[in-house]
Amino acid sequence: MQFQIEHGPAFAWLRVQLGAGERITAEAGAMVRQSPTLEMDTRLNAPRSTGVFGKIWGFMVAMARKMFGGETPFLNDFHGATGGEVVLAPSLSGSVVHRRLGGGSTMFVQTGSYLASSGNVDMRIRWGGLRSFFGGEGLVLLECFGDGDLFMNSYGGVTEVPIDGAFVVDTGHIVAFEGSLDFKVRSIGGLKSFLFSGEGLVCEFQGRGTVFIQSRNMDSLVSWLSPMLGS
Amino acid sequence: MHYEIQYRPAHALAFAHLQPGESVRAEASAMVSMTPNVAVETQANTGGGLLKSLKRSMLGGESFFTNRFTAVGSPGHVSFAPDLCGDLLVHELTGTQLLIQGSSYVSAPDSVQIDTKFQGFKGFFSGESLFFLSATGYGPVLMNAFGAVETLDLNGELIVDTGHLVAFTSGIEYTVTKAGKGWIQSFLSGEGLVLRMRGQGRVYIQSRNPAEYGRAIGAELPPRRS
Repeated sequence: MQFQIEHGPAFAWLRVQLGAGERITAEAGAMVRQSPTLEMDTRLNAPRSTGVFGKIWGFMVAMARKMFGGETPFLNDFHGATGGEVVLAPSLSGSVVHRRLGGGSTMFVQTGSYLASSGNVDMRIRWGGLRSFFGGEGLVLLECFGDGDLFMNSYGGVTEVPIDGAFVVDTGHIVAFEGSLDFKVRSIGGLKSFLFSGEGLVCEFQGRGTVFIQSRNMDSLVSWLSPMLGS
Repeated sequence: MHYEIQYRPAHALAFAHLQPGESVRAEASAMVSMTPNVAVETQANTGGGLLKSLKRSMLGGESFFTNRFTAVGSPGHVSFAPDLCGDLLVHELTGTQLLIQGSSYVSAPDSVQIDTKFQGFKGFFSGESLFFLSATGYGPVLMNAFGAVETLDLNGELIVDTGHLVAFTSGIEYTVTKAGKGWIQSFLSGEGLVLRMRGQGRVYIQSRNPAEYGRAIGAELPPRRS
């Protein structure tokens, strides 16, 4: 598999050349164009190894996620006997970043930031704690693991921050972070700042690893737009 | 007349430079600024008849009214901007035909005829709509893209998401088909309908999908009070 990330930083997309029998998994709705030689299979976002009950549970979690996280629970697999090309793009403006997973490393990806993955990358849904539901900034994460390429999209520019110690990020600005980091969702100060600071919830990281942050926040766009929508 | 495009690709702005007596027609609301010697005339966009133009504005997102800008007495310019952020592109017609996705068309000189002889299409499931304007004649046609533009010289076959298509030259045939193997799969896949394009010619593709952007943001917005 070969890939190029083009048209960045504002309108980046991912162009992938698949060899015979190779496969790339993408977020539902991401396909821009594809070779007619490629086929598309749609499946529920559940680890490939899960059994029937796991799949039913996955479906329920997926539906809950669709309600709370707004993210579609389906994935598309592109593959073909002779290979071909597929172009994938996110819905918002911004960048695409690539990370290679392997050697037991994991990556927690904010659901809206997952674009695509190759090879044996698998994922399961992780909640950022009950607390993340209050305040409307649901931190719903995909834990990605296995061996292969992972592609994430950011709203705005993306900054890679190496952490050794502690670091605090607004939940709406998180793209992804390495599984080696401990994280905790909390409000930025006391009740007063939770209600009035406009910062909502933050994620506090501890340990050693990398966090990817985005320069824009979709929740902020939504709260800016909402009052403009009067009758 | 010639175009000059600035602030590419994120917030492109096009300047149409006019010689005395030359004019350019543009979508209503596209005008940003103009020199004082430019006369504006608003016309109902009745190319192909009133009913057709109503249909065109309802299905294709193209405006019902067109503004005609003419430089009087001396050279002048008009600048145009699209609604969303993204690039602008110019395709030069030399007696050839270009099919433009309704909402991508911005402006063209009088030497270009904008017509609607091509059938539109409205998706039942996803609310996708697809409507092509036909541009024929001579001269530069200005179009907008949501995001960046990819210029593709097609020779063979290609599948394109309806929301990412900007325009393509005649000589390319297309069929509208479901993205997956079945209707349910196509719906769940989030891809809905796609265009299967075949032939030889040029295809312009935009790196973002306006409808998908609308859905991503729209799902988070409070319901509209009526």
